Amino acid sequence: MAELKLLFKHAHDESYRTLDGYLANGGYVALDRALGMERQQIIDEVKASGLRGRGGAGFPTWIKWNGLAKDKVKRHYVVCNADEGEPGTFKDKQLMEQTPYLLIEGMTLAGLATQGDAGYIYIRGEFVDAAKALRFAIDEAYAKGYLGQNIRGSGKNFDLYIHMGAGSYECGEESALMSSLMGERGMPRLKFPHAPLPTVEGLWDSPTLINNVETYCCAPFIIEKGGEWYATLGASTKNSRGTKIFSVSGHVNNPGNFEIEFGTTLSELLEMSGGIKGGKLKACVPGGSSVPIINAEAVEKAVIGYEEMADVQSMVGSGGCMFLNDQTCIVKFIWRTALFYANESCGKCTPCREGTKWMLQILERIVAGNGQPGDMELLLDITKQIDGRSFCGLGDAAAWPVAAALRVFPEEFEYYIQHGHSMVESELQLTPG
Amino acid sequence: MSELLQLGRQNPRPHAPKPEDLKLRFGTNAIEELTNLQAHYPDKKSCILPGLWIAQREYGGTLTGDAIAEVAFRLERSYAEVEGVATFYSMYNTNHAVGKHMIEVCTCLTCQVCGAYPIGEYLKKQLGVDYGETTPDGIFTLHEVECLNACDRAPLLQVGDQYHGPVDTAYVDRLLNDLRAQEGSSVVQLADSIVQVHLANFEKAGSPKPSRPTAAPQSESRSRVKVDDSA
Repeated sequence: MAELKLLFKHAHDESYRTLDGYLANGGYVALDRALGMERQQIIDEVKASGLRGRGGAGFPTWIKWNGLAKDKVKRHYVVCNADEGEPGTFKDKQLMEQTPYLLIEGMTLAGLATQGDAGYIYIRGEFVDAAKALRFAIDEAYAKGYLGQNIRGSGKNFDLYIHMGAGSYECGEESALMSSLMGERGMPRLKFPHAPLPTVEGLWDSPTLINNVETYCCAPFIIEKGGEWYATLGASTKNSRGTKIFSVSGHVNNPGNFEIEFGTTLSELLEMSGGIKGGKLKACVPGGSSVPIINAEAVEKAVIGYEEMADVQSMVGSGGCMFLNDQTCIVKFIWRTALFYANESCGKCTPCREGTKWMLQILERIVAGNGQPGDMELLLDITKQIDGRSFCGLGDAAAWPVAAALRVFPEEFEYYIQHGHSMVESELQLTPG
Repeated sequence: MSELLQLGRQNPRPHAPKPEDLKLRFGTNAIEELTNLQAHYPDKKSCILPGLWIAQREYGGTLTGDAIAEVAFRLERSYAEVEGVATFYSMYNTNHAVGKHMIEVCTCLTCQVCGAYPIGEYLKKQLGVDYGETTPDGIFTLHEVECLNACDRAPLLQVGDQYHGPVDTAYVDRLLNDLRAQEGSSVVQLADSIVQVHLANFEKAGSPKPSRPTAAPQSESRSRVKVDDSA
């Protein structure tokens, strides 16, 4: 299958970043339609669409939208997670910079469906360009009556604010994001079933809806054309519907964002991005640094879909797809992955705080040529002790890539430990000095 | 071998001023911005992050103990709480004075495999400093950072609010020359850009008073939250 541009259809049209251009290209048709619908009808359309969260976990979106109290007693909040931090992913950045109105309209629709009073877009501090594009769009939407009091004369209100982060990967996790939005250190909170869901008690203990940028951007299309229409996209897969944006980077000739229909194969995606450069394909991390790495044979077999990717023991994740050529030393690549998680662990939960550092220490000594027999077993043991033992998913995300690399490329680790240098006669410098 | 990216660890943490020594430095614009920001949230605590961005701008790019104390004072929070928040996030420059320009080198995965480490080494050599250090003339601070999420442009650098990539050594040379010639601090400019994107047109400092009432719905909502709490 080729690229299928739905969200990105007008991305390169600069006028689409203004209200007039957005309206001229079918913008806000969905909002006008939704203003004439019952709240539950909007949620039912999202349910029929089969839309699943695009941030990485793939949770059915309608369940979140349906989870906020129908009999409203407190303020309801709609939050957009734009703290895109997963290494390899850069789709939300492009969506915010080039299609800001899709996000604004999507959040407004979510506000209508869930009786939201205010929305917050939590953008990571580095994304100033994206925030500026959104600021411009939000100001224009306020001025023309698409946000604020009495939207389009309907009597409904929805305010939208931008909140900038300040440099923390952990804040992309929803409970840490809410902590950060409330002026705290970005640390995760106790989760369901030990604590209420955010849809029951989220921001300032009020019902809160949190979705990813890409998820909200899908909503206008679902409301405009109907959930059933949206569900026809990706119908060849088991349970993945619609389009997904993949950010392809690494050793490819034409890196960038590619919007594809679910059911496209991973090798088709590689073809779209111009094929591998500098050697032969060796490995691929298909969905951002947290998902398990796969080898070239698995790339041949992989079909993109939430369930289908499990067949090659990997995941769709956030869509940050990194292709690596045969000059890449997997041991050094995994060392850098471990360094990332050791840096970004917020320090709240012991298994993650200590475990990520232990993994790093072991990988560091292997890379330095001082690996010891039994290091691979030790690493595997640590991954098992981190996985599932911390408040949020950062610990799991740190453990999976290491465990997967040990499973898929054991010979590289064995060789490195035995000989004290990499198996790959690499021209690439992957470590400092 | 590599070490964790604990930026500027050789320097002490911020030093809280004694209450009698605290000198407030926020200008009228900064005070107006902070006041307008408070209307976005139901409580003052939530303003700590944007408040710290204002402080980072007002104090010339570094969050000193005085800067943190001023945010704490203006938002009626404790110094310890605000320092705790400030030191968690890597973009707040809490533990060392930074130069006019901060060059941040991404060495995370895609940049790693696309040659970021040699670029980092080249920058170290050209500037004569290590990561986390500032050149003696006070112009450049060099930092190593985690993924900046523009991996299609790897290897990538960030200076102020600009991304540069893909870069090579020739690009780095040009960039350093351009930055040396540039007036004003890109560190302060980044903080200002971040403050400005929080604020709607009518909320910007010095803008005419809004024609649209913004205070009314907010105060209503605040009282509503209180009612819920007592119930």
